Amino acid sequence: MSNKFLETRNVTKTFGKIKALDEVNFNLYKGKIHGLLGENGAGKSSLMNVLSGIYQPEKGSIYLDGQKEKILSPDIASQLGIGMVHQEFRLVESFSIKDNLTLSKSNIYKDNFLKSFKKYSEIFALNVNENEIISDLSVGEKQKIEIMKLIFNDSNIMLLDEPTAVLTPQETSQLKNSLVTLAQEDMKTIVLITHKLKEIKEFTEIVSVMKNGKMVAKDLPTKDVTDNQLIELMMGTVKTSTVDKDNKIGQIKLNVENINFIDEISNIKKLEEINFHVKSGEILGLAGVSGNGQVELANIISGIEKIFEGKIIINNKDVSNKGVRSRKKLNLSYIPENRLGVGLAPGVSVIDNSIVRDYFHTKLGPHLSKNKTSNFLESLIKQFSIKAPNPKAEISTLSGGNMQKLLMGRELVGDPDVIIASQPTRGLDVNAVDAIHNLLIDQRNKGSAIFLISEDLDELFKLSHRLLVIFEGKIVKSFNTTDANINDVGLAMAGASE
Amino acid sequence: MNKYTLSKRQVVNELSTFYSFLAGFLIALIIGSVILLIQDKSPIDTFSLMFKLSIGSVNSLSSSLNKATPLILAGLGIAIINTVKLWNIGAEGQIFMGAIGVNLIYINFQLTSSTSFIFLLLVSAFVGGAVCILIPAVAKVLFGVNEIITTLLTNYIVIGLTIYLVNGPWKDPGSLNFPAAAYVGKEVYLPTIFGKLSYGFLICILFTAFAHYLKNSSVFGYEMRIAGGSEMTAIYAGINAKQKAFFAMLIGGGFAGLAGGIELLSQTHRVSTGISQGFGYTAIIVAAITGMRPVGIFLVGSLFGALSIGGSVIQTIGVSTYIADIIQVSTLFGALVIQFFFNYQLKRADDG
Repeated sequence: MSNKFLETRNVTKTFGKIKALDEVNFNLYKGKIHGLLGENGAGKSSLMNVLSGIYQPEKGSIYLDGQKEKILSPDIASQLGIGMVHQEFRLVESFSIKDNLTLSKSNIYKDNFLKSFKKYSEIFALNVNENEIISDLSVGEKQKIEIMKLIFNDSNIMLLDEPTAVLTPQETSQLKNSLVTLAQEDMKTIVLITHKLKEIKEFTEIVSVMKNGKMVAKDLPTKDVTDNQLIELMMGTVKTSTVDKDNKIGQIKLNVENINFIDEISNIKKLEEINFHVKSGEILGLAGVSGNGQVELANIISGIEKIFEGKIIINNKDVSNKGVRSRKKLNLSYIPENRLGVGLAPGVSVIDNSIVRDYFHTKLGPHLSKNKTSNFLESLIKQFSIKAPNPKAEISTLSGGNMQKLLMGRELVGDPDVIIASQPTRGLDVNAVDAIHNLLIDQRNKGSAIFLISEDLDELFKLSHRLLVIFEGKIVKSFNTTDANINDVGLAMAGASE
Repeated sequence: MNKYTLSKRQVVNELSTFYSFLAGFLIALIIGSVILLIQDKSPIDTFSLMFKLSIGSVNSLSSSLNKATPLILAGLGIAIINTVKLWNIGAEGQIFMGAIGVNLIYINFQLTSSTSFIFLLLVSAFVGGAVCILIPAVAKVLFGVNEIITTLLTNYIVIGLTIYLVNGPWKDPGSLNFPAAAYVGKEVYLPTIFGKLSYGFLICILFTAFAHYLKNSSVFGYEMRIAGGSEMTAIYAGINAKQKAFFAMLIGGGFAGLAGGIELLSQTHRVSTGISQGFGYTAIIVAAITGMRPVGIFLVGSLFGALSIGGSVIQTIGVSTYIADIIQVSTLFGALVIQFFFNYQLKRADDG
């Protein structure tokens, strides 16, 4: 291989007790497209943030063209020719394309703007006038402008954080062609962060894999590695603990039939022909990298999202046209992925948050009984051993684990028939994870039908009887957890075709 | 390099708002004293005179509480609207609209029983205030238009409307060219007790209790709090967040409208541009100082009423009435600064 264009040596970055980057060595080669693969939280974004000057590593050094560099700020990164496209675009929405492209002081095409804009418009197959306002553009067009902005700022190293997450399949293959042209003709060095094996295969020449803040494999030639090898590197050895799954399974409680859903704003099809059912006493897992339609599906089942095709049947009642309230009355509970913001209201007290599901049971006409609500909270605190010393304190003064216990307790206390639990243990410490798992198993044994949405394969294998895999809005595979191979699930999650 | 960062305190003292108010008031008195000293006036003499003439006798206390009534009612309205985390800057306009509502009904209807007529007029004051905030409320819930701007702008529209009415259709021929509507008849004056204290103040006590109940102990108040905390949580809980915001705004506007109606029926007795002397703006200060607590608004509103009365009488010893305004505003600044240190603490940043 040619010379290293950029090299990191033993880069370490910690947040509190957590090592986001642990002695990471990473290489980039001029004019190549690199893939950086890893699960959520593996450290990919942290590494990119170090390269683009947003984070300062505690240890280790970065070499650019053999020179040791300290990238203290995004400004310095940009002077060194390192630019990044974040998942959330950083464009001035009310400015024109031209203004956005020439905004930075380091931009190099101020004088012959039109000529270069034409040239790159052709490479990106972009068909808009340079005076168009950004807010009038489609998501795909905006992304092209984002990438073009790096070129106009003379970035030779372009870091792209999951660029295809917002794109249609056609746009994705178009992006691939543009990136190949940039690498070959302009000798741009490109890094593509992704979860999708297919894109690693199609886009990149060299691939590196991260896991738990460590670089577990680097500089692998893409054409020589198999999907299975990559998945094994990415997942590592998952410790498949398991619980007793011989409990009694009963009637079908939740039926989801032919769900199709198109996101109104982006006009992208988020869910396609989703069919499944969950029985009493059963835990059905939904595995998938987040952003593949899980939130939309959970919102449709719980009644938050009202415009969709298909049927939701709870306890043999068709509730497709019913709102959140009537689904709750059929004893559905929803533990949303977004704990603080959806499940719990920030800025509001612990006691107010504790009765979000059942407050209409504690009211007497227009009056909300203080006695009933405080008794309710007290019994929650006791039953679910929640640490919440002051009921009037704002909810965010609780720890993450206690917040989740309060939320779970609130949703589980009425022995719901159907539970949708979305990423219930994300970001929690080991003890809290165990507590949450036990709650779910208790509830399962009491006969609830549980639909468990998670990215954590260990959790899914441990708890669920059956497992569905969602990828780009489609259920691509289903498994029985007793005889499934974890790598097969990983492959399906990453979108590998058979 | 030593870096300090601010971090939110885990536990905030429940009485912190009260302490911040006391501290703010003390700071305000000090600032007032300094200004008085610069002018070669004795702060002790001035303040004791203010004290004596604002709450020293039943009569002066009554004047103070009459003055406080519109401040308190408008402040309560602001606090109710703030339960859904929206700001009503339009109380001033709503006060005018309340008075306009009263006069509109007064000149078009006549009821024989003066008690029921007064009741009808007070209801129309409430409705007038609610109508005044209707457009900002609709714009907010349908199109997400910032209510701070729209409620502020309606003030100018309503004051323009008042000027038009008192110079045009409602102009009193007997007012010697002073732009004002005709006086209402004595039969609809609000009665008084202890000589000067208006029944308006009793209504004010009633509405303080109502606002306190609505905000803290009713289902509607609970739903408003959740909607104000996070619209997504409200939707998740099956609460119509937009509907709560809409009704909160109408009720809050109605409170301020009622303030205008009471002011007309107990003090000015006619519509003119002098219906409100900035009550709607001072009410924002009152509500903000108390952290939007109805009982606090009642107390601080009463104090500010007394300050206004005290401020207007110290002119007699050659001190500007603005000293009262300075104390009011400095109290807010002082209280907000102190409250900040109750909510946050300075911490040395970890390295890195």
